[in-house]
Order: sequence, then structure tokens, then C-alpha cells
Amino acid sequence: MESIFERLWRLGPAAFVVKAIVAAVVADGLLLGFILVRRTYRKRYFARRDKRVFELRQVWDDLISGKIPYDSWRQKAFDRRIVETIALDGLEAASAEESARLLKFLRNSGLIEKRIYEARTLKGWRRMRALVALGQTRAPEGIFAMSQALRDRDPEIRLAALRGLGRTAAPQAAEEILTWVGERGLCVPALPLQSALIQCCAERPKILIPYVRQAKGPLREALGRVLGEVATPSIGPDLLQFVGDDLDELRAASARAMSHSEPSLAFEVLHELVRDPIWFVRLRAIVSLGELDDARAVPDLLVGLTDSHRLVRLRAAEALVKTDAPIVPNFQKVVGTHDRYGLQAYLTAIENAGLQNHLEAELQAAVLGSQDEKESLLKILREGCLPSTEPDAPVISPTKSASLP
Amino acid sequence: MIWLLDLSNHTLFWYYVGSNVSYLVMLIIALKTAAAHQRRLQSYRLGWLKESPLAPPVTMIVPAHNEEKSIRVAVRNLLELDYPQLEIVVVNDGSQDRTLEEMREEFRLRQVRAVYVAETKCAPIRGLYRSENSGNLLVVDKEAGGSKADAINAGLNAATSPYICVVDADSVLERDALLRIMVPILADPKRVVAVGGIIRVLNGSEIEGGHLKRVRLPRKSIEVIQVIEYLRAFLIGREAWGQGNMLMIISGAFGVFRTDLVRAVGGYRARAIGEDFDLVARMHRLLLERGADYQIHFVPDPMCWTEVPSDLRSLARQRARWQKGLLDVLWPNRDLLFRPRYGRIGSFALPHLWLFELFAPVVELTGLATIVLAACLGVLSRHFFLQFLLFGYAFATVISIGSVLQEEITYKRYNDWQDVFRLISYCFLEHFPYRQLHMIWRLQGLWQYLRGDMAWKPLKRKGLGPART
Repeated sequence: MESIFERLWRLGPAAFVVKAIVAAVVADGLLLGFILVRRTYRKRYFARRDKRVFELRQVWDDLISGKIPYDSWRQKAFDRRIVETIALDGLEAASAEESARLLKFLRNSGLIEKRIYEARTLKGWRRMRALVALGQTRAPEGIFAMSQALRDRDPEIRLAALRGLGRTAAPQAAEEILTWVGERGLCVPALPLQSALIQCCAERPKILIPYVRQAKGPLREALGRVLGEVATPSIGPDLLQFVGDDLDELRAASARAMSHSEPSLAFEVLHELVRDPIWFVRLRAIVSLGELDDARAVPDLLVGLTDSHRLVRLRAAEALVKTDAPIVPNFQKVVGTHDRYGLQAYLTAIENAGLQNHLEAELQAAVLGSQDEKESLLKILREGCLPSTEPDAPVISPTKSASLP
Repeated sequence: MIWLLDLSNHTLFWYYVGSNVSYLVMLIIALKTAAAHQRRLQSYRLGWLKESPLAPPVTMIVPAHNEEKSIRVAVRNLLELDYPQLEIVVVNDGSQDRTLEEMREEFRLRQVRAVYVAETKCAPIRGLYRSENSGNLLVVDKEAGGSKADAINAGLNAATSPYICVVDADSVLERDALLRIMVPILADPKRVVAVGGIIRVLNGSEIEGGHLKRVRLPRKSIEVIQVIEYLRAFLIGREAWGQGNMLMIISGAFGVFRTDLVRAVGGYRARAIGEDFDLVARMHRLLLERGADYQIHFVPDPMCWTEVPSDLRSLARQRARWQKGLLDVLWPNRDLLFRPRYGRIGSFALPHLWLFELFAPVVELTGLATIVLAACLGVLSRHFFLQFLLFGYAFATVISIGSVLQEEITYKRYNDWQDVFRLISYCFLEHFPYRQLHMIWRLQGLWQYLRGDMAWKPLKRKGLGPART
């Protein structure tokens, strides 16, 4: 009997198209079959899982206390996965006491050891899954296995290990990460690295300093940003070495970190940085000045208010409004800058803070040099523009593109 | 005549092969990328990002023109988004209905002198309002500019963040959508200049208080077919183009851009018909001319749900406008084609758009004409014609089912068996007569553009009610 292929061959020039039809129809069937089989399987799997989760939840306390022997569920992969998931989810939102109880359970039942073993020996997505679970436990004994995974060839594995280490929030994990980036450079996206380091260095930010000093290029920028986030007053003097750094990001990080430093030191440094040629360094300096929440910052904030960059002006205005300096003299100083954009930014910040009426009342009550001055200030406040420069200036500012970013 | 038919046959055959191969390659790339993305998501911690000091401020720009039905719900939905530093700028683009009053009542707006630098051209501003309930909400009231682009430009002038996110007022964002769309930017802020999210069809789903309560497939056939089209366009097309850094369109309904770059290209082109496509094209041009190392990403999981036309007339208008928009952008950018300076954009992305998007309806029409002519001249092989038709049908269905599969193995938003069966059955049914109608609408769009008919024709919409189903 003639085979299907022989029959196709006999069709001549149309054979190609017939083969293509067969291929397309088979592909349609396979795709459909896959969708239906997958749906059916998942439906059954989740029904079974839900039932088992409910059963295990009923005996949860006995289960984690060990009254129910660990071996009764550890040998069954299905049960083990459920128990581990419940315990790890519980860890996410547990109090310190409950966390300790769950961690003890994970240790005693051998689940952590199992994950450590998997994180060391498995490959591909299975290794990634083990790393994610290990990170969720936040167990310090997992740090070494995770740091080994940082050297994996697969970038996704490295990221999972990095995120896992970040979750432990332990300085020991920070050391491992910093040693690794010291060896390999920035071989993962900056964000997960920074996130992990921010969590791990919060307790001991000083461990970052030697690495920032030695690092080069983008890694130095990334570490500088972390330094800016985790800095505390204790490392204020260490940060001074980066204030004049060639790298813009590092100067910005120093500026950011200054908000956590001793005010006397911070003002001196920030006074320099608000005049930096790079706009985002100035922006960071202004934000830090604002966070210091001190009337001594006002002169530098006024410099920021007349900055050529819109974001710097806005942040300077917000910071000026937030300072504990008296509001009327501040307003006088803002008007004294004769900067329309600065004035507008300041009035916006006043309005956003809901202080317009307060400022008006203070102005009415204030004892100023002359009545004319008071009237003039009140008029500026009400009309939102400087009378001497453009008496009929509209509320909406015209373009200032030449000086804007 | 026979010689002409022969030439036409050959051209159409190779066009067809080229088109199918490109879609097949895109399907494979998309399936691979989606699987990798899903695995990657396992180790993500969006919860941490929500409070991360590393997340840069974002200004959401919401152009609103006669949106009285949906504006309250839409803005409330945006105010509840998970993101640490968020500013929302709603632009009331000369609405003739109660859009501004609705917002005034709901958010207790008061007129302010907020910073507004008219750096990008747009119609005059009537006033700026800030909410007393929500300090991060600013409303820009402006005269009608005649286009969405004009309204976005006004929002751009009021934006104070380094990134802007443009969202339609009739769209519903999932709560973590902004966090998810920002992930590529947070990962590589120096290189990633824009990110597009996925747009899904809202029709048929249940909404409560501006939030999506239950995802359901729409009832009308015309809406279900659009669901398949959106799945195909986003989960296959954009996913694949994004993977090759050749994404040319970031949907105007949901996308994030670096503010300085949008300002550098002069903002949105007010007269552009497809302002979203136009902006991305100009950004590519600028960055390639500067020799910048940049990326424009597509992320498939931050979801934005939007209402699609539910009647043929509105759909015809929308599709004609899209086709006009395509030509409106491709024609001024024709100098980018095949020039080494413009890299893969000039060599692959734009030629693909010219060939398989812009010319597609013309080629389809030529194909139909060739068949009719061949039949009239008695040279049509009916046997071969039927076989070819069957192949075309089966292959197009593979691509459509492939997009449904993508949805199934990744986001699985349609949970009901009934919905999945309907979705799959429409993968088989969409080819006749919807495809032919679509071809006609696109041809109409081209014809309107060539005639200079650029008028914006309104689409019929229901809007986001408080509990719409």
C-alpha cells in the first residue's frame, strides 16, 4: 500500500504546500492539546494541593513542634513543598519570636540543610529555586552556599543568590558580596546589587568604605550610591574623602550621606556641593540640607532656589518651606533674590504645604522696615510675581529653556 | 497579462513566506523570553521596591478630554498605585463636559500657582489646581489643543520628576503596574530610556471602585477578536522586538519615558496621528544620531486594562486612524531606512513596519485582485489555490493560538474554561470576515491620509462606571 509520503510526493509542486498544511495543522493541534492538558493538570494539581494544605494547616502546631515526626512528611516531595512554602510565607510576616520558632523548625526538620545542598549541587532553575528559598529563610548558615552561587555562569542564578544574600541583611553577607564584586566587577545590574548591599550594610556601613575607595567605574558609582543610603553620623569623617571625588555619582552620594552626619560637618561640605557643576550633585546637596532641618541651611537653600535646574529649584523651595526658620524673613530673602522662577517654586511649595494663609497672616502681623515693604510683599504673595521686573507677568511662566535641563 | 500574473504570484508568494517566517521567529523568541521572565520573577521582591529609596520619582500624565464618566474612578485608581514617589498630573484638555467639576468635587481642588514652564508647545493654560486630599495630584486645565499629544505636552511642562508615565484616563492600571514597569529602569537607569507595558482588553471584566475585580472575556465577537489581536501584538510582537532593542511603539495608554529625553525631542508632536509611535521613533533617531548606548524595553507583566471599541463603526475609525498614524510616522522617517548609522532600527524594525504593516492591506488587495484576474483568465489552479488558502488559514491560527498559549503559561488572566474555549474558537473564526474588513479599514486609513483627511473622529465608549460589567 502506498505511504502518505509517497502520496504527497506524487502531488508534485503542490507537495510543499501540502506538507506545510500538515505541519501547520499539526502545530495547531499540538498547541491546543498543550493548552488543554496543562489546564486540566493544573486544575487537578491545585485541587489536590488545596486539600492537602488544609489538612496540614489543621495540625500545623504539632507539625512544627515535632510532635508529628518530621519523617512522616519529609519523604513526600508534595508534602515537603507545601510545608516549606507555609513556613517561608509565615517567616515573611512573622514577629521576632515567631520567626525564631519557624527558623528552629526549618533547621530541625533539615529543610535548610536540604536547600543548602541543592543550592550547591543543582544546576539551572532548580538551583535558582533553592537559592530563593534559602534567601527567604534568612538563615546565616545559608550565606556561604549563596555566596558560592554568586560565581555561577548563569546571570539569573547570580541574581537569585544576590537577592537571597540581601534578604539575610547580615554584614557577613555584605562582606561576601563585596568580595565578589571586588573580584568580578559589576557583572549584575546595579539595582539588585545596591538593594542587597543597602540591606546588608545598614548595620555596619563602614565595611563599604575600603571597597568604594578601591572600586572603579560603574561599580564605584553603584557602591557610592549605597554608601549614600546607608551612611550614619559615625562614618561622617570617612565620607569627606569623597567630597572632591572626580566621579559625579560619588560626590552625589557624599552629599546624600551628609544628611546623616553631624550638622557642623555637614553644612561645611554641603556649602561646597550646592555649587557643584553637576546638577544632580547639587540636587542631592539641597535635599540633604532640607533633611538637616536647620535654619543655618537657609543661605545655601537660597542658592539652590536660583539654580538653573528646575528640580534643584523645586527641592530647594520645599526644603526652605520645611526649615524651622521664621517664615517672613525667609520670604523676604526669597523676594530679595529677584529670581522669578525661584519665587514661583517657593510659592508653589508654600501652597503645597497649605501655608499660604499662614504666611499672609504672619506678613500682616510682622513689623517690617516700612508699610510699603509690607504692602509690596503682600502683593507679591497674592499675585505670585515680582512687581519691579514684570508687573503684568502671567501666573504661568514662559519658557526658560536656555537655562533648563 | 499572464506574465504580469506570474510576476504577481511570485512576489506575493515570497511576501507571504517572509511575513510568516518573521511571525514564526517572533513567536519562538516571545515564548522563550516569557519563560525566562517568569523564572526571573521568582526571585524578584516588588514589596521591597515599593519602599526603596532607589526608586526615582515618577510623574504620571493623564490626558483627559470629556472623561466625566470615568475621571473620578481613573484618578482614584492612580492615587492608589504602589510606588514610593509618585506625582499625578491630570490634564483637562478643554473638556466640554463636567470632567473638571467631577475632579473638583472628588479631590477638593484649589487653584494654585504651581511651577509650570512652557518648554514644550501646547495650547494655552487656563489654570492649575492641586488637590487638598492628595498632595501629589495636580490638575492642569487647558484650552482644547485638538490632540492627545497637546495635552500630554502640557502635562510634561508641569512634570517635576525625572520620569514620566503616560496613561489614558479610561484605563485601569493594576496596583503594582508602575513598580513592575520601572524594574528595567531601576536595574539600568543609565541605558534604559523608556519602557512599555502591556495593554489588555477591559471590556467584559468587572470593575469595582476603579479596580479590576474579575477578568472576563467580553461577550461580543468583535471584542473577543480584539483580545486575540492585543495578545498577538503585545505578547508576541512587542515582546520579540523589545528583546532585540528594536521596539518602535510604546502604547500611548501606558509607557514610561525619561523626561529629559522627551523634552529633548521637543515633546509629543501635536499634529501626529499616532503620537506614541512618533515619539519613540524620534527618540530612536536622536539617540542613534548621538551614538548613545540605550535600551527601550517592553515588560509583559505590568498590566494596563483599557476599553476597546465595541461596535464596528468605532473599530473601523480606530483602525483607519492607526494606519494613518503608521504612515504619518514612517514617511517622515524614511531617511532612516537601510542606513548603517541607524543600526537595526533602520535595517530591520522600520523595513518590517513598511513591508508587513503599512503595505500589508495593499498587498492583500493585490492578492485578491490577482486571484480574481487569474480566475477570469482561466489560469487559476483551484487545487493549489485551496491548498494555499488552507495553509494560510492554518498558519495564521498557529500564531493566534501561540499568543493564547503565551497568556496561558505566563499571566493566565482568563481563568474560566468557558473563556478559554471562546478565546481559542475565535482564533479559528477571526480570519473570515474580520480580516477582510480589517484590510478595508486600513486601506481607508491610507486613502484618508493621502487625501489629507486628518480629522479625529470620536469613538463610542462606555467609560469606567463604579461597578461596570
